[in-house]
Amino acid sequence: MRRYLFSRLRQMVPVVLGVVTVVFLLIHLIPGDPVEIMLGESALAAQKEELRRELRLDRPLAVQYGDFLLGMAKGDLGTSFRSREPVLREILRRVPATLLLSAASMTVALCIAFPLGIVSAMRQHTFLDHLCGFLAMLGLSMPNFWLGPLLILIFSIGLGLFPVSGYGTAGHLVLPAVTMGTGMAAILMRMLRSQLLEEIRQDYVRAASARGLSRRAAVVRHALANSLIPVLTVMGLQVGALLSGSIITETIFSWPGVGRLTIQAIDARDYPLVQGCILFIALCTVAVNLLTDLLYSRLDPRIRYE
Amino acid sequence: MADVKDRLASALLLAAIAAASPTGCSQRMPADSGELVIAFPGAPVSIDPRLSTDAYGTQILQMTHASLIRMDAAGNPLPDLAEGFEARSPTEVVFRLRDGVRFHDGRELTSADVRDTFAWILNPRNRSPHRSTYETIREIETPDSRTVVFRLSEPFAPFLAGMVRGIVPAGTRAAGYSPPIGAGPYRVDDYEQDTAIRLSRFEGYHGGAARIEQVVVKFLPDSNVRFLELKKGSVNLVLNGVEPDLIPAVLENGNLVMEEAPGSNVSYLGFNLRDPFLSDARVRRAIALAIDREAIARTLWKGHADLADSLLAPGFWAHDDKIPPLRYDPAAARRLLEAAGYRDPDGDGPKPRFRLTYKTSQNELRRRIAAVIQEELRQAGIAVEIQSLEWGTFFSDIRKGNFQLYSLTWVGIADPDIYHYAFHSGQTPPEGANRGGYRNPEVDRLVTEGRRETSREKRKKIYGKVQQILSRDLPVFPLWINRNILVRDRRLTGFVITPDEDYASVKEMTFRKGKEAGK
Repeated sequence: MRRYLFSRLRQMVPVVLGVVTVVFLLIHLIPGDPVEIMLGESALAAQKEELRRELRLDRPLAVQYGDFLLGMAKGDLGTSFRSREPVLREILRRVPATLLLSAASMTVALCIAFPLGIVSAMRQHTFLDHLCGFLAMLGLSMPNFWLGPLLILIFSIGLGLFPVSGYGTAGHLVLPAVTMGTGMAAILMRMLRSQLLEEIRQDYVRAASARGLSRRAAVVRHALANSLIPVLTVMGLQVGALLSGSIITETIFSWPGVGRLTIQAIDARDYPLVQGCILFIALCTVAVNLLTDLLYSRLDPRIRYE
Repeated sequence: MADVKDRLASALLLAAIAAASPTGCSQRMPADSGELVIAFPGAPVSIDPRLSTDAYGTQILQMTHASLIRMDAAGNPLPDLAEGFEARSPTEVVFRLRDGVRFHDGRELTSADVRDTFAWILNPRNRSPHRSTYETIREIETPDSRTVVFRLSEPFAPFLAGMVRGIVPAGTRAAGYSPPIGAGPYRVDDYEQDTAIRLSRFEGYHGGAARIEQVVVKFLPDSNVRFLELKKGSVNLVLNGVEPDLIPAVLENGNLVMEEAPGSNVSYLGFNLRDPFLSDARVRRAIALAIDREAIARTLWKGHADLADSLLAPGFWAHDDKIPPLRYDPAAARRLLEAAGYRDPDGDGPKPRFRLTYKTSQNELRRRIAAVIQEELRQAGIAVEIQSLEWGTFFSDIRKGNFQLYSLTWVGIADPDIYHYAFHSGQTPPEGANRGGYRNPEVDRLVTEGRRETSREKRKKIYGKVQQILSRDLPVFPLWINRNILVRDRRLTGFVITPDEDYASVKEMTFRKGKEAGK
């Protein structure tokens, strides 16, 4: 297990390196001059050149890339052009909001997906199954930019239950979490349903029923655990997407997460901050994928990591 | 039993919802507690007056920091920290500070703080974007704690407009998102980057304590959310943050009222004068005549825009009132194009006289405006391809001269010296903002003279001539000036809408009570 973990961690290095390299090249290739954005048009040309030298933007791209890698190896992600704060501090300031929203959205998704997925599979081709299918379709087809304001309209304006936007209390978390969790719930629910339907038809479920176990117990205790591996894979991918932040949801609810920070950094051509944000997202994504792989063995003891 | 279970579940659900909501169903709105909540369409990048360049930062600083002088709606200087100033010569200006002005921490504001604020900006190591504004300052002398003498290397008329800069205590370092203290009517209590800033009344403010005790500025980038926050009552003042389409829906709420006043931000159509088609002034004029600005202002801006004839707003002191109007005349546009040698190959047929590219930002309304202009120019025989670009790319293209037509808005014009910056032949990027490459020796001479002349009357005449020449040459076509639209809680009074969207009057605001509020 330890060897497997080390080998996976080793594999993560080229993946993360590849991502940051591509981002480094892309952000330098797209038009837009951070110096002009920082100093404004009215600054003197000499002043702009001075700043360009100071930020080492006058150096060849290869040298800048080398500096960036060297800094990254030392744990120094540089200083944001925009705020003049260390990039790491900027990102860490946003991480709690991102983690909180991701965890809450995933909780919402699981709370919807599991009961409905199980009911849907157990009552295949009944009204309940069709209703769940319809709800899943609805959840998938409602874009966040539409669902967010709709939820605000109903629960904030109509019922006065939650604040419209902002960050800080449990009330602020509910609507963005539901907005982000709904689409995910639909995917997980459909995935769980199809996996459960496959498992329900297996002999061991029939055997469990023959031993006198109720259908519900047979499904929940035996079939469900075996259906979880593909569901877990999808969950892992979804968590990766959640951590990278949902720009739209964060914008609608004025949620100060990493996703919004990334967009602001791109707009300002704040190279160190863009690179730092992407590094954070890449690290989170590969870490969640690794965690998902490790969880497989907990769900299915036949899976061994050597 | 099932009924009891259902009821219990419902009760639990309701309790959970109520617990999740900090204030429950009977949420107290900010206005009830006398708190003013303002929504901005974006968050400031910096709220350090020595570094801030964006509009949102500037507007917060108008509430938290005091400057030597302020400007009125017409661009005339008013005293603030300075009780008066005197130009001893064209290169020497003396400011006399008020007595007993204090910063938010109780320290006395002295001439040393003023000197240090500007010296900090001028220090190249501090990378202040405002350094070029004060390049002509040769020396700052402080003979006593209340007198500041600025000596300039040459006469520079826009110097005074540059004195609208928040003063911070001497020795203040730039510290990222931590706002430095000031001497304005409100102090910063809490700043949540990208979310909100909380201000509280500074009792020791030299202009008399503000009337509203607490002010919260929320940064709400989504226009629908600003609308919904207003509707709910959790925001009670929005200036220029409600889309024209949504204004009637906002006003359905009886607690809100709208006020409108002339603005100063001029939208314009920029031409690349290095382009073979657009180098011909007749083509530029034809394009201007082919665009029905009135229809666009009436329909897309819902009447909340006034037609522009110059980069200066009509109420501004240097605006020339005798600029000949340029009215929509598609027939004249076609005649001018013919005269310029661009014949329509097939009359009303699909073939154009020539093709142009029009670059604009990704703002939805700007894209719709671009589509209307595209259709109007098509009718004149000019095929236009619209390129709607992400801001960084768009602005980079404009700066590099990589465009034919583009549209942008000039904001925050405080001095007619803008004409030097935008039209002097030596101000093509990277030096200045003459992006279209306009060259006219007469304009060069006038705008150079204008920045050295300290008499306002003489400057008005100089810039009047500049505006006349530009209205003939049309290096840019001024389109319209958006009106400033304030949506506020009916009970709020005292906010003065200025053309430059100044928030300084927040300190005069108050909540009317009882019957008064209904008025």
